[in-house]
Amino acid sequence: MRKVFEIALGILTAIGGFVDIGDIVANTETGARFGMSLAWVVVVGVVGICVFAEMAGRVATVSGRPVFDLVRERLGARVALVNLLASFFITFLTLAAEIGGVALAIELATSVNYLLWIPLVAFLVWFVVWRVKFQVMENVFGLLGLALIVVAVALWRLHPDWGGLIHGATHPAVPKGEGHPTWWYFAIALLGAAMTPYEVFFFSSGAVEDGWTRSDLMVNRANVYIGFPLGGLLSLTLMVMATLFFEPRGIEPGHLSQVALSTALVLGKLGLAVLLVGFFAATFGAALETALSCGYTVAQYFGFQWGKFVRPTEAPRFHLVTLLSIVLGAGLVLSTLDPIKVTEYSIVLSAAALPLTYFPILLVANDPDYMGDKVNSRLGNAIGSLYLALLLVVAVVTIPLMILTKAGS
Amino acid sequence: MRSRIAALLLVAIVCGCTGPVRSFNVYASKGGKTAKAVVSAVETARLAVSAAARDRAYGRYLGQVLAEAERDATAAQGTFDAIQPPDRRTDRLREELDGLLTPTLSSLADLRIAARRGDLVDLPRLAAPLAGLSKRLDDFAQAHQ
Amino acid sequence: MAGRVLDAGLDLFDRQLLDKDARLAGKVDDLEFSFPEGGGPPHVTAILAGPGALAGRLGGRLGAWLEGLANRLRDSQERRPARIPFGVVKRIGSCVDLSVAKEELETDRVDAWIGDHVISRIPGARHAPE
Repeated sequence: MRKVFEIALGILTAIGGFVDIGDIVANTETGARFGMSLAWVVVVGVVGICVFAEMAGRVATVSGRPVFDLVRERLGARVALVNLLASFFITFLTLAAEIGGVALAIELATSVNYLLWIPLVAFLVWFVVWRVKFQVMENVFGLLGLALIVVAVALWRLHPDWGGLIHGATHPAVPKGEGHPTWWYFAIALLGAAMTPYEVFFFSSGAVEDGWTRSDLMVNRANVYIGFPLGGLLSLTLMVMATLFFEPRGIEPGHLSQVALSTALVLGKLGLAVLLVGFFAATFGAALETALSCGYTVAQYFGFQWGKFVRPTEAPRFHLVTLLSIVLGAGLVLSTLDPIKVTEYSIVLSAAALPLTYFPILLVANDPDYMGDKVNSRLGNAIGSLYLALLLVVAVVTIPLMILTKAGS
Repeated sequence: MRSRIAALLLVAIVCGCTGPVRSFNVYASKGGKTAKAVVSAVETARLAVSAAARDRAYGRYLGQVLAEAERDATAAQGTFDAIQPPDRRTDRLREELDGLLTPTLSSLADLRIAARRGDLVDLPRLAAPLAGLSKRLDDFAQAHQ
Repeated sequence: MAGRVLDAGLDLFDRQLLDKDARLAGKVDDLEFSFPEGGGPPHVTAILAGPGALAGRLGGRLGAWLEGLANRLRDSQERRPARIPFGVVKRIGSCVDLSVAKEELETDRVDAWIGDHVISRIPGARHAPE
């Protein structure tokens, strides 16, 4: 019975924790411009992260050490350092975007300029990382993030033309008036938003923080194979809402406030309020995860003690890196760089860095020294390798496409 | 070699930014893009007004949506006005677009002011001209892609 | 510990170090070899850890940058990387187990410094994980 409760809680927090500012921005902007023609990318992205997150979780559960910790042993100091620099950089950029996202969410509720909220948000993020127990942190923000389901409720109430939507999703075609390069650029952004590297670092380290053992492999699988796809479905509802409300009107959303309009129109003030809670929880939760991931990656490369499962004086460098990342991340958005723009860049660059961050996972998950009898199945390897090939192609075309399409403008 | 490639990349990116424009077509297409951006802002504002009319949203939230819409439209116009029209033919295009933009921005400002004051009942009336303006801006954008 | 022939590249470099309480104590960044008096193959006399040691192994521009960073973090006088005499190595497996506590290692200096001067100053630092 206890196990069932644990699995249910894990799934719910996985759903609530899936969507972050990157998914909100990517799905809404794509729906507004390209309708449902890129919905398939979200499916591809969700399958990808399921496969690799399960691997990363399994590695940490079986070997007792997170994937990133093992990368250096497996790939050597040089390659792992390049991996660290890339992973840290995009995780840091994502952290800045999430802090901006939290500030924007609070701005929506209070009408006080988001810049004024950033220092408070940064302090709160740090405070929760410093003092709140890991499981409590995960559960509270994961469950609160479920408030985003209000978008699905709004969609349901609308009684949209489901047939038309499904047709648009299953017959991908570049809409009239849009260019192919831009279409592909948005596809890359969507993929990066769904398959964010920090998700994997956090999930893997989280398995150790939670003290998972072999008996928890089931929980790991349930969280990933049920929770993540449902989370992906939630981000797709954002795309659908944008398709229904923004595309026909020619609205190109560039503000978080616009995202909330559709839900407000259908469900009124209460729906709007619930949605704002959802925005806050999703972005704050992601800010926590990215902040911790900044600390995890650096500490695990150098071998420092890391983790919330020890007292802070036992892991000084880990906490210092986390603190500095939060401060610098807040500084980045305080520079009045548009948080939405920072988000757009973070998801695209994440996509470009994916082969670098995902390849070691595949490698380590196949290593019998760490995994014992729990190495990847042949199917798992086949899918994993297929994805890596795809991600390599994505990585190569990202920067040229960014220049060609002027970052999707 | 690497620095040369970096320099080339930089030039490519910078050339994407605004500057003096040589041909009518390029200028017209920039006008079209401006119109498109303003349509986006106007339609956002109209959606917000419709939410206000049906009492679907808080005044504070609406004030923000309308203020952002006004800001976006103003920014689009500002960027366009900064471009030097290359010849007299483009002058006429500029007048045409400005003729649409000025009343639009004025309405958006009215909406923002009313919303921020809490006069939500006035919003539908103030938004009335936007329906026609939006259509004409959209036609302009289609004509000058 | 009796002499063992190991492939340092595979079995020693970049391994996680664990102290006697199984706490994480860094990674094997580099090794110190010495050549025995009577000739024969070199043997490992110490594990070198810390950014300075790593910089040496990385080489190139990356290494030089890391070394500069490390020198700034360290006490001015000491220019050599932190050293763990091989005598304290208890077991070599997937991790390298040491027979001493973390605090007794030279490599702990930076941690101790940051711990004392930065982290401890923040309230709640000594709280057990709740």
